[in-house]
Amino acid sequence: MASRKLLIGLLLPAILVTGFAGITPMIALLNYCVQTPFELRTTFVGLGHFRAMFHDYRFTDAVFRSLAFAAIALAIEIPLGLGLAYLLRKPGMINSIITALIALPTLFPPVTIGMMWLLMARKNGPLGMVMDFFLSGMFDPFRNATHAWGTIILMDVWHWTGLTFLVSLAAVSAIDESYIISARTEGATRWQIFRYAEFPQLVFPLTFVSLLRLIDALKIFDEVYVLTGGGPGLSTEFITQYIRTTGIEQWIIGYASATSLVFNFIVLILSWLMLMILTGGRGLIE
Amino acid sequence: MAAARKDLLVNILKVIFLAFICLIFILPVYFTFSVSISSKPRINAGAIIPDFYAGNWIEITKGYWKSGIINSAIVSLSCMIIALVISIPAAYAFVRYRFMADKHLFFWFLTNRMAPPVVFSIPYLMIWRGMGIWDTYQGLILAYMVFEIPITIWILASFIASIPREIDEAVLIDGYGTRDLFFKFILPLIKPAIGVAMFFAWLFAWTDMFFASVLTSVHSKTLPAQLLTALGKVGWGIEYGPAAAAGFVTLIPGLALLYWVRRYIVKGFTFGRL
Repeated sequence: MASRKLLIGLLLPAILVTGFAGITPMIALLNYCVQTPFELRTTFVGLGHFRAMFHDYRFTDAVFRSLAFAAIALAIEIPLGLGLAYLLRKPGMINSIITALIALPTLFPPVTIGMMWLLMARKNGPLGMVMDFFLSGMFDPFRNATHAWGTIILMDVWHWTGLTFLVSLAAVSAIDESYIISARTEGATRWQIFRYAEFPQLVFPLTFVSLLRLIDALKIFDEVYVLTGGGPGLSTEFITQYIRTTGIEQWIIGYASATSLVFNFIVLILSWLMLMILTGGRGLIE
Repeated sequence: MAAARKDLLVNILKVIFLAFICLIFILPVYFTFSVSISSKPRINAGAIIPDFYAGNWIEITKGYWKSGIINSAIVSLSCMIIALVISIPAAYAFVRYRFMADKHLFFWFLTNRMAPPVVFSIPYLMIWRGMGIWDTYQGLILAYMVFEIPITIWILASFIASIPREIDEAVLIDGYGTRDLFFKFILPLIKPAIGVAMFFAWLFAWTDMFFASVLTSVHSKTLPAQLLTALGKVGWGIEYGPAAAAGFVTLIPGLALLYWVRRYIVKGFTFGRL
């Protein structure tokens, strides 16, 4: 069978590389998560780490914070992206320049975005000065948790609205005009046209991009780590940072492995959902 | 008349809103550049207008900044090439052949792309140290492959799927070998997809800070990780000038390629399905 040989030859490099670098870490994590490796005494603890997680307030708080952050970010980015798509849907020179500008931050390294907003939010950065003017000199994202959250949300909106906007723009431009024309002849108001003629055609791309953003928002690390470092206190410590702190900095490998497996499981389920929606449950390849 | 006035008002509000959005999206980029060409007293004073001080840019051509830039270029470009060489044949196989568990394998590839880097970082740190590839280019590139191969495979697969199968059959019936089919017919047809896949393979390695900060320390530290180190010295006073210059270097490729990639961004982030 020449074609079987050919098939193996085509696939083997990809399977070997991702197989090695993708599966061995998972096996290692499964091995670590039931023990206390790299500590004074390596003992078998069974599911002890998983049980401890529910009583670890720092962990549950970090999970809750991550979910809250994702919810707030999505609640702003999706409507904003859709609104901008409606404003900028007509093709033209100015509109395409603005489109490119809004899309630009999606190509930037997250760590640099953290640095840019650190520069902006300092006492003598533009954002710091403007907010100081409104809050009469009280703006301090490095000591006030509310201000820190506001800055992080603003940063994330700045970073990722481009993506929701581009997806919405593609969806809005693909709307079947005949529905709108017939709705208009029936005497529907602008809102009714949107709700009953346009929105049903936007549900699919919007659901997809919401899930994509949800997964990415749960994975946020670089920007926040640079901007606030999880502070003030632990008020902006998200799940990723908690795992990194316990695992890589405090070297509590067993427990960190257990938490990261739980986190990975959550993300895996969301990704599965996203890919199923993306392909309409038809499977990923024809 | 009233309707016309209302329309005018709406249009003016629209223009003001869009101008505000533009300002917000430009300001951080402008301000970073402005800080990078300002001298230290001017940065500390919070000036919006720079004084065209070249010291920061000279500083990042030396020492650890310079090695960071070189390492970033080496790692991201080799990642791009290796990911492409590995995933073009794999994408072709996924589209043209049916084999056992093909859909499961494809799905597994993609879940790797979505997995959080932090999950992989702990075992990588341990295993890479054990294998002696910690703080080397190979180690970093191998870690990036898990995330890049899925995305390049998907982008290429959705493109190859649009080439009619009859072309393959016609070429093979005409007496060309499989190698000719691949290099003379399929590759030229998917050229645009290769460009997009290259860009996104390169982008991941160029923008990643997480793996770079965990898996490297001296020899192969990339620019984003170097930036994190520089920004981590909060208590000792961050040198904002050089950091802003180095940060701006990481933005340049995005700025330069934006015009070309703007219509492919959606494809890159949504696996080419939207």
